[in-house]
Amino acid sequence: MYHLHHHLSTPKSLYPLPSNPRFLFLQPPTPSPRPPQAPPPSSENDVVHIPSYSRWFSWDNTHECEVRFLPEFFDSRSPSKNPRVYKYYRNSIISQFRKNPSAKITFTEIRKTLVGDVGSIRRVFDFLDAWGLINYSPLNKQLKWEDGKDSSSKTAASPAGGGGGDGGTAGDANASNNKDICKRLCSGCKSLCSIACFFCDKYDITLCARCYVRGNYRVGVSSSDFRRVEISEEARTDWTEKETLQLLEAVMHYRDDWKRVALHVGGRSVKDCITHFIKLPFGEVFTGYTDLGDVDSKYNQIKDCDDEESGPNSNGSPSPSKKIRLSPLVDASNPIMAQAAFLSALAGTEVAEAAARAAVTTLTDVEYGGNKDSGVASNGDTNLNASVKACLDANSLLEKEESDVERAISRITEVQMKEIQDKILRFEELDLQMEKEWQQVDQMKNLLFADQLSVLSKRSSTTKIDERGSTLKAEERGDENAKTD
Amino acid sequence: MKTLPSSSSKAPVKFRMPTKENLVPIRLDIELEEQRYKDAFTWNPIDPDSEITIFAKRTVKDLKLPPPFIMHIVQSIQTQLAEFRSYEGQDMLYTGDKIVPIKLDLRVNSTLIKDQFLWDMNNFDSDPEDFAKTFCDDMGIQDPEVGPAVAFAIREQLYENAVQSVAAAREIRLSKKGRRGAEYVPASKAGGTSLDLMKLFNNKYSVVRKRKEWDVYGPTVDLLSNEEVDALEAREERNVRSMI
Repeated sequence: MYHLHHHLSTPKSLYPLPSNPRFLFLQPPTPSPRPPQAPPPSSENDVVHIPSYSRWFSWDNTHECEVRFLPEFFDSRSPSKNPRVYKYYRNSIISQFRKNPSAKITFTEIRKTLVGDVGSIRRVFDFLDAWGLINYSPLNKQLKWEDGKDSSSKTAASPAGGGGGDGGTAGDANASNNKDICKRLCSGCKSLCSIACFFCDKYDITLCARCYVRGNYRVGVSSSDFRRVEISEEARTDWTEKETLQLLEAVMHYRDDWKRVALHVGGRSVKDCITHFIKLPFGEVFTGYTDLGDVDSKYNQIKDCDDEESGPNSNGSPSPSKKIRLSPLVDASNPIMAQAAFLSALAGTEVAEAAARAAVTTLTDVEYGGNKDSGVASNGDTNLNASVKACLDANSLLEKEESDVERAISRITEVQMKEIQDKILRFEELDLQMEKEWQQVDQMKNLLFADQLSVLSKRSSTTKIDERGSTLKAEERGDENAKTD
Repeated sequence: MKTLPSSSSKAPVKFRMPTKENLVPIRLDIELEEQRYKDAFTWNPIDPDSEITIFAKRTVKDLKLPPPFIMHIVQSIQTQLAEFRSYEGQDMLYTGDKIVPIKLDLRVNSTLIKDQFLWDMNNFDSDPEDFAKTFCDDMGIQDPEVGPAVAFAIREQLYENAVQSVAAAREIRLSKKGRRGAEYVPASKAGGTSLDLMKLFNNKYSVVRKRKEWDVYGPTVDLLSNEEVDALEAREERNVRSMI
């Protein structure tokens, strides 16, 4: 990342434009005579550094990443938070900072001078701080390792959580490149962390083991907030050739017994051995990187061991190499084959294939070159040729089998699909039948309803006649009673 | 059903700051081990509570205060916010006229400000921040800290008025409940805090202010020298001590 020289705008452009009379720049920044931090440009204006990933910034406009990080000002959810207010906050914060670029400006100073609610001011402040538009001094790069936060990751970061969430990160750090995450500076004692460091994600603090134990962190942070981060021992100590050779020997002898491997290597923990072994660049050798000279010699050693021991059994290696999983040969009582299978499984198919091929060719060379002991010398030319031919035959057979298997699978899938199609057709027919029956039931319901209605109407008419009759009777009775009274 | 207290009023309105943005004025005054921290700012009640802790930590870090301050700051802010929220569910009285006088009498660093003006509590679009900005512009105030202080003072007084109106509304409701709504409670009792515009203009219905009130209603901005500032501060401290 290089640093952009952003010239302080001339005071004229900072005064409010006639269309926005509400802009308040309380004091125009006076360009005081200060020695610039870089080779002085021809103009007399001061030079303020901002990181190159913030070059989108301009006094008059709002960039889309500002919209993304601080959506509260742009989504018209609240009546007085609008882009104009945002620009007012942003520009006054930046101009305040630029009045004295060598000093870090604190949030409290700023918010005392800005009218508005402190929450949103803080978010704007944090946003500007994170993007290096304020409190950015390129001369203090080594302090940037402290928080281990990557500002460049912010450019790629998704706006998840909006302005509030990510506003709280990256107080001081403006790391221009943070590829080397293993270098961690303790925020407490400012020393390089080795072995293990304690990292608190909540407050973004990295402490070395000593500071953690001493409790040298801010109040409010409890010891349970920290998690232990192991620095990979690659950074700590590099494996020497001797150690790597020992490791490989031990692995071949003890295979899975990492405890003994670790003992054999001497001075390395089990985990170290395993991690280093996995990282050993077997692959690069086969793709022909010859500049890794020591790796080459390592590989040759392995190869020679294999050559001496594998002999006529080399044709067996291609088949286990095709399988990623450990092949059944691992359990074979033949320890040599087991080792070869194990190594080839670890290294991967292509690598193992190449190794086998190379082994075979070396064998042929060796055979033509001279005598070798332990079984190779006993085999004559014919045997070797036969073995090579057998190898090739095995390969072609394998390929044929593969294609057979493929064809079988495709046929099976076709049949299955046909089955499913038939089932679907049957279900459709059933569905149709169901619908018809349903319609019939519906019709019958309607008929029944009509019948019920007619019955009810007839009944009601009869009851009405009855009622009328009864009321008449009641009236007569009433009259009679009245007459008697 | 609530009966409307007067013909010109509308249904009661939920409590909120009568400004465009519903911001709470927060005042902090914490003293710990010989160190005093005084502050006043506006807070947005929509912000989550985690924001309070973040703010407290930032402030303590920026001002290099000792760490115990963080807890006190957080507690104080939370108490004031809780108080605000407790009013939030309740009703405010919404009578026709709600013009209140706002008095400014504050000292920010070396600027002394005295002012008085009328503010319409019914105007929920009012903006103390805007007022403060214009005030500073017009009066040519150099100190950038004056603006927020003015806005804060206005907001505080509006808040107090709003709280009073909630209390008044509650009183009315209680009294109404007691009398089963049979008696008619006059509106003027409820709007005790607001000035009756008629009375203000002396029953003459003239909008022009009387000459002797001109000084009162105009802003005075004084710039004090350092010695005067020190003297004033010492006097203030003595007052505070004597009160304690």
